[in-house]
Amino acid sequence: MARDKKFVSERIGDFARDLFGSGTGRLTLIGSFIMIFYVILAIFAPYIAPYDPIERVGLSLEPPSKDFWFGTDNLGRDILSRVIYGSRIALSISFLGVAVAFIIGVPLGLISGYVGGWLDRVLTLIMDAMYVFPGLILAIAIAAVLGPGIVNISISIAVVYAPTYFRVIRNQVAAVKDEMYVEAAKAVGAKRWEIILKYIFPNVLPSVVVVLSMNLADALMTEAGLSFLGLGIAPPTPDWGFDLNSGQRFVLSRAWWGIVFPGLAIVFAALGFSIFSEGINELLNPTIRERR
Amino acid sequence: MIFILLVVIFFLLRIIPGDPVLAILGGKAPLEVIEQKRHEMGLDKPIIVQFFDYLKDVFTGDLGTSTLTNRPVIEELKDRFPATLELTIFAFIIALLIGLFWGAESAWRKDEPLDIGARVYSVLLYSVPVFWFGLILQLIFASYLRWLPVGGRIPAVTSFKVRTGLYVLDAIMSGDWKGLLEVLRYLALPSITLGMVTSSIFLRMVRNNTVLILSKDLVKAARARGLKKRVVLYGHAVKNAFVPIFTIIGMEFASLLAGAILTETTFSWPGIGSYLVMKIRYRDFPAIQGTIIFFGLFIVVISIIIDIVNALVDPRVRY
Repeated sequence: MARDKKFVSERIGDFARDLFGSGTGRLTLIGSFIMIFYVILAIFAPYIAPYDPIERVGLSLEPPSKDFWFGTDNLGRDILSRVIYGSRIALSISFLGVAVAFIIGVPLGLISGYVGGWLDRVLTLIMDAMYVFPGLILAIAIAAVLGPGIVNISISIAVVYAPTYFRVIRNQVAAVKDEMYVEAAKAVGAKRWEIILKYIFPNVLPSVVVVLSMNLADALMTEAGLSFLGLGIAPPTPDWGFDLNSGQRFVLSRAWWGIVFPGLAIVFAALGFSIFSEGINELLNPTIRERR
Repeated sequence: MIFILLVVIFFLLRIIPGDPVLAILGGKAPLEVIEQKRHEMGLDKPIIVQFFDYLKDVFTGDLGTSTLTNRPVIEELKDRFPATLELTIFAFIIALLIGLFWGAESAWRKDEPLDIGARVYSVLLYSVPVFWFGLILQLIFASYLRWLPVGGRIPAVTSFKVRTGLYVLDAIMSGDWKGLLEVLRYLALPSITLGMVTSSIFLRMVRNNTVLILSKDLVKAARARGLKKRVVLYGHAVKNAFVPIFTIIGMEFASLLAGAILTETTFSWPGIGSYLVMKIRYRDFPAIQGTIIFFGLFIVVISIIIDIVNALVDPRVRY
């Protein structure tokens, strides 16, 4: 029923591999450089950014100049500083969202796969239904009810991606639960939770690590979409998606700098994360391509 | 399938913390008012009863009443649906045309500039958020060049009779060519935005599948018979590469719809996507829930149609 959905990052990874050939090592390197760049940007934002991102420091809608490299927005705030600070929100929401998805999806998958029976049926049905629903629409629905905020947006994103973890883990568990080592553990009298945690979990974990890294770019794009729709972080906190939303009002004033720069920040982050995860994917799991 | 989706939506919207009654009335409403509203919305009944009420409503086509306009949600969706349908159909056609022709030509001239161009195009467009791409096109074509309108669907009144709500069709049916041109001018940017972003997936699929088929004997045979390139490429290779592509089309439809929400918001296109965003802004919960259900049903219906067509196109699917 549920067809296999591809991650944004897998797609970008596919495209990138087409373009550069199979130089996976190089791709991972470029991807990790971009990723490290963004992490540094987020951590050291106060030192890197030339101005306070929420203070009026210049005239409204000033084009890029020596003082304001990326220009200023309608409230006279420095766009460069806002783009730099924006990486904080973007990264923390995508990391947190993916982490929450992992925390929801993995235990449910473990239990569902190991216990089986009607519980497994019900959980699988529910997760499949959520899985086929377009991620963004699902996230919009939840974000609409929860309201803005870092944690709330992360939860909305997590609900979208939890089914992915669930599916991967469940299928893996179902595949390994009759293996010899599980039988052996049962024979020596290991308890159920011990078997799940100590014997099965370590064996199915590698398959999710790849999913984890691939989720990041998706989560980032979803976050950008949500905040563009005004469902993200409450202003004046700098956020790429929301800045695009406010930049849009000045399209006709030809204030291109308010639109181009926050957008480029999203594009590079999405590209970098995807290339990175695709590289990781192949390094960790050379066979996964064939299995998929 | 539809049933499960409905169940998930129902429970998801209730598990989530936050009281819809408080959200509607605001935090400071007196207790009696809150209780009365809760009764009105049937939220004081046991959850099982609520669930069956909800199922009954959905199956009788009652998606609730908007708290903002006091109109049935289904009516409002009906008004707005043609706009979304028109946008997605045109975006789809654009995506398919770009993907099909560029993909086929790239496969024919593998590793030549045209092919490399196709790959660069795919990487870039897929990493670009659809709403940002729309904004960039707005900047170029509406703000700087002033060729096309920034957003909206039609200037104030239509010069033709609205029958289906699909303005392109309506204009053609009324024989109003000036009106048609105007409609297309408004439609151009949103559908190109959504279409181009979606096209990167089609492009890659068509190219890679066609490359695969081009190396097969059937193509060699066709070329040996001295057929023209056009016939070999489109008549033989692409035709055979089309089955996996068709499966992808089905999967992409859901993401096309999600993209439509963002595109509609960018271009203030009066479809279901911008309706949903507006209702969220006013915290109109019945409308939000109704719209999400509508999207869910729409996706299920489309995937069933695509499965059926798929089975017709490829006899191997009919097991």
